[in-house]
Amino acid sequence: MGKFTIGCFSSLVGSMSLDFAVKLSAAAIEKGHKVDFWVSGNATMLSIKGQRAFKDYSALMKPVQELMGKGLTITACEACAEARGYHKDNTLEGFKRHSMDWYLASAFDADRVLHIGGE
Amino acid sequence: MKLAVFVSDYRLNVDTLNRLNPAKLGIILVQNGVYHATLKENGALSSLMGKNADFYVLMDDLETRGLAGKDIGSNVKIISYGDIVDLIFNDYEKTVWL
Repeated sequence: MGKFTIGCFSSLVGSMSLDFAVKLSAAAIEKGHKVDFWVSGNATMLSIKGQRAFKDYSALMKPVQELMGKGLTITACEACAEARGYHKDNTLEGFKRHSMDWYLASAFDADRVLHIGGE
Repeated sequence: MKLAVFVSDYRLNVDTLNRLNPAKLGIILVQNGVYHATLKENGALSSLMGKNADFYVLMDDLETRGLAGKDIGSNVKIISYGDIVDLIFNDYEKTVWL
């Protein structure tokens, strides 16, 4: 089993990429891999508490919390979050916040990396 | 190098792909990229499908768009998220997202 680092820079609502990245993380964890998941830019919305699930939108908070319970390490870009007004006291429990060097370090020692850019 | 390229949009990415010269190229069609394998303009498939590559398409993204295996050519393998994980770890060394 290997370490898989995924970086996602897309938005939470109205983007297909973050949904894809979460489902891919789930599949990798299911196969026994370790997954580090970095969210940056508008994807930091995924770290906020109190997300409401509407039936016509992809709702990722619950799946991400379940994946964290299975060992997913997920980290938000702290600067991106702060720039958007998402502060530490409003961050989901277990969701880490670090500077970009966390992502670089994770990617450096990962067996595989998938970097999904923003739009 | 064995390179897996994720194509997530229907915009043509052939120019970008032509700049890449891996020993082995896999093209994984996801999101709106699945239309490369299904749409025909003036009777012709997307020029992306003319690349010398192994082609894959994500079943979930086909079904989300009301498409199915019968809508794609025999040279495209239909895969799951789990299959993508296996491709990334077992068949390719690097990944690119377009």
